[in-house]
Amino acid sequence: MPGSGQSDDRRLGFKASQEVVVVAISVVLFLVFSATLNNFLSQGNIIAILKNVSILGTLAVGMGFVVVGRGIDLTMVAVMVVGVAFSIWISTWGIDFTLAVICGAILVAAIGLFTGVMVAIAEVPPIFATLAIASSVYGSGRIVFASDVLYAPPDIAWLKFVGNGSVLGIPMSVVIFGAVAALMGLFLRKTRFGRLVYATGDNPNAARTTGLPTRPIIVTQYVISALIAFTAGIIMTGLVTGIDTRLYNSSLIYDVLLVVVLGGIGLSGGQGGVRNVIAGTILVGILTNGMTILNFSYTSQNLIKSVILLGALAIDAIINPRDEQTSQSGDI
Amino acid sequence: MKIFKKCLLAGMAALALLGVAQVASAQETDQVGRAAYLDGVKGKKVIFVPISQGMDLNQAWVMVWQRHAARYGFTLEVRDPNGDTNAGIRAMQGAIAEKPDLIIVQNPDVQTYARLLKQAQAAGIKVLQVNMQSATQTDSYVGNDWIEMGRLEMGELAKHCTGPNAVSHKVVWLAGVQTGAANIYMRTGIDEVLKANPELQLVSDQPADYISEKARQITETVLQQHPDLCGIMGIWDNAEVGAGAAVAAAGKQDQVTIVTNGAGAATGCESIKNGLLDVIFNFNAPIQGEIAAQQISELLQHPDRKAGSEKTIFFGPITRVDKTNATGRNCWKPEDIK
Repeated sequence: MPGSGQSDDRRLGFKASQEVVVVAISVVLFLVFSATLNNFLSQGNIIAILKNVSILGTLAVGMGFVVVGRGIDLTMVAVMVVGVAFSIWISTWGIDFTLAVICGAILVAAIGLFTGVMVAIAEVPPIFATLAIASSVYGSGRIVFASDVLYAPPDIAWLKFVGNGSVLGIPMSVVIFGAVAALMGLFLRKTRFGRLVYATGDNPNAARTTGLPTRPIIVTQYVISALIAFTAGIIMTGLVTGIDTRLYNSSLIYDVLLVVVLGGIGLSGGQGGVRNVIAGTILVGILTNGMTILNFSYTSQNLIKSVILLGALAIDAIINPRDEQTSQSGDI
Repeated sequence: MKIFKKCLLAGMAALALLGVAQVASAQETDQVGRAAYLDGVKGKKVIFVPISQGMDLNQAWVMVWQRHAARYGFTLEVRDPNGDTNAGIRAMQGAIAEKPDLIIVQNPDVQTYARLLKQAQAAGIKVLQVNMQSATQTDSYVGNDWIEMGRLEMGELAKHCTGPNAVSHKVVWLAGVQTGAANIYMRTGIDEVLKANPELQLVSDQPADYISEKARQITETVLQQHPDLCGIMGIWDNAEVGAGAAVAAAGKQDQVTIVTNGAGAATGCESIKNGLLDVIFNFNAPIQGEIAAQQISELLQHPDRKAGSEKTIFFGPITRVDKTNATGRNCWKPEDIK
């Protein structure tokens, strides 16, 4: 069963996978920035890097989980902003905020369930299903909530802890990201369900013919990714006291996808894992942090980012050329 | 003599009666010019193409304009592209094709609609730009004096971050969208203040895209690099709460002054009270909306005047709001405007 999390064309000896390429680039950048920038290597800055990618990373863990199963979830940002905005909105009716968050989580899970059903049972290709659902989810939210920016009630102790608290000096946002990543890693590697996700992603038809419950597996994936998106939204609300639904219009969902693909989870499914997501997230984190410190202009930041990301993909293409098997499995 | 007295009385009575009659007829007399005004604006068609109606300032404007339109019988349609520039271009093209009497536009940047605005004027449609200008000047602009806004905000930081008692001379400019009118003109004002105060040191100049989480990330990174940072200035209160959150997380609320501008919504005042922001230069969107409403009436009343033949500019009010005056009309709620 091709469930090792690695593609099967890795042959004798050491072969630099895309993940290794990305880690190597991260290390090089880290060394260059450490040598050239003051305070880059300080404990505070390292924590700042992690904190600044915690939301991106959390979303990417959810996205990675779906992509491993040969899906894609473009609803994540819409679900994140609308789910949290819904919780804040109903809390303005006088409902306890914690209860409102639970209601938001239920709503989000229901959206995930619907997406999963559309993909697994109605068999709409995931890229189209999730693109359309993202738009309808955001659109509905946009009609219901008058404002783009919704502020959480100011005196919720646990939400303040999520934003400002820390455990052993590590900010809660990073702890939550770490916990989500660790749980997902264990889930994918150690549980039977996790292995089934790889099997479904690697070859859905074979998985189904063998008798695996592929449809329930796919539906569960979208429910979980929606709940992870909601978690990322809660982290954001804790950090900046509110949620900005206009994030749906930003490039965030592509950044999430980029982190996943960059880290080495192929869009053709069945490969990679949480480690790849973390590698991609950290590269983006180091790059953004260094360029912010260097005070590069917006345009040059985007340019440098794209060149490095393109470079990583190109190096991978050279080291791991496509063979018959990989090209047959196809990308999206 | 008696006859004369009687005559006088009779005359006075007659006059009094006449007077009453005149008052009565005066009650039916129209206010001077009102009929022409009503005639001028009634049944006219106005289309508004905003950046996004999800923003507090837009909601305030449209509430004011809808009330004005309902009272005087013209129609106002809002074609909301919801932050999507391509949708905005389509909305503008559609609006021009419909040949309304007036198009109101809030430009996402100075270039995107520049040609479309010329087309609209060439087609004889008057154009009122609100708060965000295009490179093309049209009949009217109602909104902020953005250069003054930049001067005010950086001037506020100059007060705190120059002189012997300043914690440092390091300041940060958290921009919005770099091609937007607000950004471009504020930068001019900022540069003037920086030139006048050479000791001020602009250590970071990054766009936060009007998104609070981005503002937070930039601020957090900059604070690591410059722990003695003195001030931050931004472009929209709803985004700079992110900068405030990063400063609060670092425990530097007493050290770092955060200045921004905003529509004057109550949420901004809350952020001041929560200690996330120090000063908001409040451009009071409802008042801005009222000024624009009068400009709408003015443009509708003169259908014979060629579009683009006269160009007017109205700069709205700017009030400095801090902890001491974050109350009352400086903190409006949508329900207050209705």
